[in-house]
Amino acid sequence: MAIDRKRVIDAMSKVQVMGNEDGLIPGFNVFVTQLPAALWNGFAERLTRRVGKDMVEAAEWLLVNAAHECGYHTGYGIITSEEWKAIVAPMVEKVPEDILHGAYAVFTAWGWAKSEIVELVPEKKMVVRAYDYYESDVVTYGRSEKLSAYMIRGVSAAFMDLAYGGPYDPAGKKGLRTFSCKQTRGIECGDEYGEFIVTRA
Amino acid sequence: MPVMKKTDLVLDKRFDPRNCRHTVNGSPSVLHCHHYATLYAQLADDCSLLDGKKLLAEVAEDTFSLELANAFKISGADRLEDRIAVAEQLYAAMGLGKMCVVCAGRDAGVVELVHSHVDEGWIKKWGKRDKPVNFMTAGYVAALFSTLFGLPCRSYEVIESASIVAGAARSRFDVTAK
Repeated sequence: MAIDRKRVIDAMSKVQVMGNEDGLIPGFNVFVTQLPAALWNGFAERLTRRVGKDMVEAAEWLLVNAAHECGYHTGYGIITSEEWKAIVAPMVEKVPEDILHGAYAVFTAWGWAKSEIVELVPEKKMVVRAYDYYESDVVTYGRSEKLSAYMIRGVSAAFMDLAYGGPYDPAGKKGLRTFSCKQTRGIECGDEYGEFIVTRA
Repeated sequence: MPVMKKTDLVLDKRFDPRNCRHTVNGSPSVLHCHHYATLYAQLADDCSLLDGKKLLAEVAEDTFSLELANAFKISGADRLEDRIAVAEQLYAAMGLGKMCVVCAGRDAGVVELVHSHVDEGWIKKWGKRDKPVNFMTAGYVAALFSTLFGLPCRSYEVIESASIVAGAARSRFDVTAK
């Protein structure tokens, strides 16, 4: 494989973000925030525990969708950024497969999940494993019966959309949601790692 | 370890290469974009089975009360005016926007936003809207007042009476003790 994950993680983890004079962080074609993980986890966990069994699936779909749209637009911003061009692009040999591997190195470097692709069938399927991720912090004792890594699911599907879903569409009308992702294992459920399988929707 | 100082605010930002986690002042932190924040706000707003707006505000209040208390401690902010300055700077450093505490007392106060990640992100994504969307900041403001005056969470009611998302020049949050 052409992507040097260690080098990408080492370099990209040092990228700093800070609010400008307006208190905003423009970057990667979006506005960015750096917020406590507890905020996102707290809302997702309380919502999915309170809506009732009939509505959990719908609530979860919306949480995953938030990450899917975020991953699609911000993901595109990342892979076209100056930071990517300087650090990752020179390592890319096979397009888009190496771009996907590079994207997960950045995903790791920026603290979303310590994760990597373990299986990739171009155009069809991707399997990702996450060995540490903030979404598993919803459980600090015992095991949940609920797989809860909605953000990783959404972003993983988005990365495949960007790779194989056609040209990037800023309006998000084409390409986005070509793929979907299900979670099959979770650290929050007592598994050794989180596992995510992306296939065509 | 990198320590970034912005006026009175002290931010201790670290990356742990073993688990690849970022922390700010000891709390795990994560980058997300305005698509994520606005879709969470929309989800909260649309949720008809329970009061999603209140839920998001409460989660924000719980989260930020800890962050603010920690920021005051790390920054050495003991006086009320220093704590307000640190709180405004923390809000900006996180990328949430530009906050101005107009007045603050144990019973009531007013907070304005000159810029807002959630409002401006919403406008960028969907255009203007005539109802508030910044439930997250309502929680931040509630947390600020509780922390400033040594009261528990849920001690203050915060109402957003003007919103950038609706076309106002500034968002305005009216705070009253319950």
